[in-house]
Amino acid sequence: MQTWIKGLASAAVGALIAASAGSAQAADPIDIVALYNLSGGGQASLDVPSLNGVKLKAKMINEAGGLLGGRMLNVTAFDTKDDTREAATAAKRAVAMKGVSAAIGFSDTTYVLAAAPLFQTAGIPFVTSGATSPDLPVMVGDEMFLVPFGDDVQAEAMAEYAYNKLAIHKIAIWTDRGMDYTTGLTKYFTKRFEKLGGEVVLSDVFMTSDQDFSALVSRLKSTDGVEGVYAASGPDTAGIIIKQIREAGLDLPIMGGDGLDTDLVVSVPGKAMATNVYFTTHAYVGLDTGPANEFRKAYTKEYGHEPENAFAALGFDAMGVVANAIEKAGSSDPAAVTKALAATKDYEGVTGALTYPEGSHVPSKPVAIMHVDKGNVAFEETVTPKD
Amino acid sequence: MSGRDTFLPKFAALALIGAGLVFWARSVLDPYALSIVMFVGINIILAVSLNISNGFTGLFSLGHPAFMTIGGYMTAILVMPAARKGLMLPDLPAFLAMQEWSFLPALVAGGLLSALVAVIVGFPVLRLRGHYLAVATLGLIFIVQSLAVNLDGVTRGALGLSGLPSLTTTWWVYGFVLLTLFVCWRLKHSSLGRTMLAIRENELAAACLGVKVARTRVFAFALGAFFAGIAGGLWVHVVTLISPDSFSFGLAFQLVVMVVVGGTGSITGASLVAAVLTLATEFLKPVEESLNLYGASQIAIAVGVILILIYRPAGLFGTAEPQPLNLIKRLGSRHTSPANSPE
Amino acid sequence: MTFPYLLDQLVNGLILGSMYALVAIGFSMIYGIVRLINFAHGDILTIGAFAGLAAFASADLPFPVVILIVLVAGAVVGMVIERTTFRPMRGSPQVTGFIASLAVSIILENLAIMILSAQPRTFHIPAYLNTLVHLGSVSVRVIDLTIVVLAIVLMIALVTFVRFTRIGIAMRATAENYDVARLMGININRMIMLAFAIGSALAATAGLMWGAKYGQISPLMGALPGLKAFVAAVIGGVGSISGAVLGGYILGLAEVLFVGLLPPALSGYRNAFVFGALIIVLLVLPNGLLGRNQETRA
Repeated sequence: MQTWIKGLASAAVGALIAASAGSAQAADPIDIVALYNLSGGGQASLDVPSLNGVKLKAKMINEAGGLLGGRMLNVTAFDTKDDTREAATAAKRAVAMKGVSAAIGFSDTTYVLAAAPLFQTAGIPFVTSGATSPDLPVMVGDEMFLVPFGDDVQAEAMAEYAYNKLAIHKIAIWTDRGMDYTTGLTKYFTKRFEKLGGEVVLSDVFMTSDQDFSALVSRLKSTDGVEGVYAASGPDTAGIIIKQIREAGLDLPIMGGDGLDTDLVVSVPGKAMATNVYFTTHAYVGLDTGPANEFRKAYTKEYGHEPENAFAALGFDAMGVVANAIEKAGSSDPAAVTKALAATKDYEGVTGALTYPEGSHVPSKPVAIMHVDKGNVAFEETVTPKD
Repeated sequence: MSGRDTFLPKFAALALIGAGLVFWARSVLDPYALSIVMFVGINIILAVSLNISNGFTGLFSLGHPAFMTIGGYMTAILVMPAARKGLMLPDLPAFLAMQEWSFLPALVAGGLLSALVAVIVGFPVLRLRGHYLAVATLGLIFIVQSLAVNLDGVTRGALGLSGLPSLTTTWWVYGFVLLTLFVCWRLKHSSLGRTMLAIRENELAAACLGVKVARTRVFAFALGAFFAGIAGGLWVHVVTLISPDSFSFGLAFQLVVMVVVGGTGSITGASLVAAVLTLATEFLKPVEESLNLYGASQIAIAVGVILILIYRPAGLFGTAEPQPLNLIKRLGSRHTSPANSPE
Repeated sequence: MTFPYLLDQLVNGLILGSMYALVAIGFSMIYGIVRLINFAHGDILTIGAFAGLAAFASADLPFPVVILIVLVAGAVVGMVIERTTFRPMRGSPQVTGFIASLAVSIILENLAIMILSAQPRTFHIPAYLNTLVHLGSVSVRVIDLTIVVLAIVLMIALVTFVRFTRIGIAMRATAENYDVARLMGININRMIMLAFAIGSALAATAGLMWGAKYGQISPLMGALPGLKAFVAAVIGGVGSISGAVLGGYILGLAEVLFVGLLPPALSGYRNAFVFGALIIVLLVLPNGLLGRNQETRA
């Protein structure tokens, strides 16, 4: 027993030494840290694909000869175990590593808020691949960057599409109260939809861990005049919600944000019932022949299955944006990287061209509106946000 | 066991040595290592205070995370500048919205609120026994979590309160560790503490001897909750954020493990295991990362817990407080202490 | 509030209640024999669901065969856990087993995430199970009816087994008193292992049904149903098989009606309501509705 503990402890110390020696060895590799919830809870289904995307992009860059004339990207991943305390300590650990050029991470605002302020203090840029609260840079500071568009942009785009194109004027909204992402979507959607003249006739809430929506479905069914449902849901409940609404015999349009950008939306309800669904997501560039298609192929080759949801592509682009900034800065110094990141213009990512408008760290990116019809997910139109 | 007359000088001497260590740590360690030191301290506060109910009195409670959440939110709201409160928390009652307290009174207020909730919940719930109580207190975690998510005008919902000032320092933590240890040690060796142990060993007999069982149980529960609330306040001002998920059921498990593995009722045991477990989790992380097996450390710890429950069911120390010199001897022997088996 | 709406919600509650009942029966079975609140019960539900998925995916087996495979998988896992974890600590205080079951749950969940990844997976069932059946103004699917019928059939079968068969009587004797049972020549190790096997097999079946009903399974899916089934078992009276079923139905109905009849803004308090109800039931009816007064609970 005791020797067993000793063995583990010495292994741990050995690994620590190896890790610190690795970063101190030479100026050669460029150190990037990635903070994600990889075990211990519900975030893993978003964060594991994100990290896969980050690692894939880093690998591709390294195979193509690295950055700044042959320097390799060295991504160290920290598992923060669905725990804000772990997020904060991982950030402290990363900052203590010295020589970190940039940090990438998280799909949820709360975890970003636990980690990013520490990078802010240390002057290291933090690029979130999946958290979408447009207030993040205000709350954290000038080292904070978003790769996805803000929730306001996609929720407002859907509100306009629903009101103008789908001619829905009375809507029911379902919100997952367990996530900041979904509560944010509902907030911005409602505001814009009501401003356009629409009416929210039913506003129901659920929790991320819920699986039985029968009570909500029955209420939806009995509410008069509902013309559509906006489901502010994450990927894990997206498929079940559609399945249960359709099984109750309701065929009204179901709308949502990029949480619905997962294969589960089609596979769980089945092709026949996955219909009349609309969601906003990232404007993938070249789904058939271009970068998005190549990304899909590379991801499938690397991990043995297709990207699970939109977060994989976002992780891929987060690493890409950072690498692009390092190359532009001509240096791996975090201050220079931050400066170059802020000046990012028309970076051609898989999830659309990314530009940080003057003085903003929330990218101006086009929003794609997708239409699911009998199991086929088709691109409907692109909305470019007005600055 | 140490006599009461020699306790104060001994405690003072140990406290001074500890203060020296803290001083030394602050001068050599980086912020990451220091935050680990702080979490070791906070976990000691939590494990030792959980021991008051679970160890001394034999009430198997899982409710600490609920009280930490209450204490954490209370402290954070009291300390937060009034201007930010107006912006972030529109539904806050006016008498709270105006306040801008300094750290110490805010921590104490958080602790007191937790204790108050514990008293209110305690009178009915503590009538339950064994794992029924465990599950009822587990329910308490979910109820408090639900309230924190849904009362978003007061708690900012799922997003949580972020950007809290990092007020907690190693000195604050150390001060409260000392306070917790002092209170618990005095309590255990006082007549009240013996009353608690009597309730644990045989409730009926204790009641026959005139012990006010219900009142003593609620007191034990509330005192534990008070320290949990303070620990919550300290914790959120290290992490600089509190969200409804900050203190969840997984944490309850870790804390109970510290108490049970350390020996239900042993202050030394709970403190040592709290420290070792916190450090071990941290040291296992690089191993986990290098092997690319995320989650392996939780598995390793869970397996360790099962092995200890099988081979040393009374925990490493039982109810005893080993003297430093006997410690090594005791650890070597397989003998379990006679004062064990709480119902 | 119209009548059809209420009827709709009652049917929803009934179906959800059967799911809870299925999980709760196994829970009560184990508790009745060894007085162990098995926290890992929910994770066996997960294992059952994935075993079912594997059986469907690897070969296009008929549904009854899949149920059989899942039953066996659950029983085997239950026996392994009993043999490796709970038997060595038999005779320890109640809470020891409880903590150990928490540890088992953490091991199973982390292993599941490591091996299967945290991604939810689609769970497809034969089309005939998804067919709609119209019963008056409400329509339900065949799978929903299967779940309701299965819960009731299993309850009757188990009650008969425990009450009238030789092994069942031996199990009850073990539950009453280990030592006396041993003196009567009963192999109590075998009886306890059997209780775990049956209880876990039922949990695994519940997992299969869960996946079949909702169409999606994930490594952490069992955690919350496991907890709620515990609540159901307590309401019915832990240790009583018919009590577990009754408790399951009451909880399912109460939960759905809580969400369905109160303003939507309160839906978020669903889980708080379930656990609040648990605490109140424990205080008012310490032995549950059908439980016997076996020990001090309150």
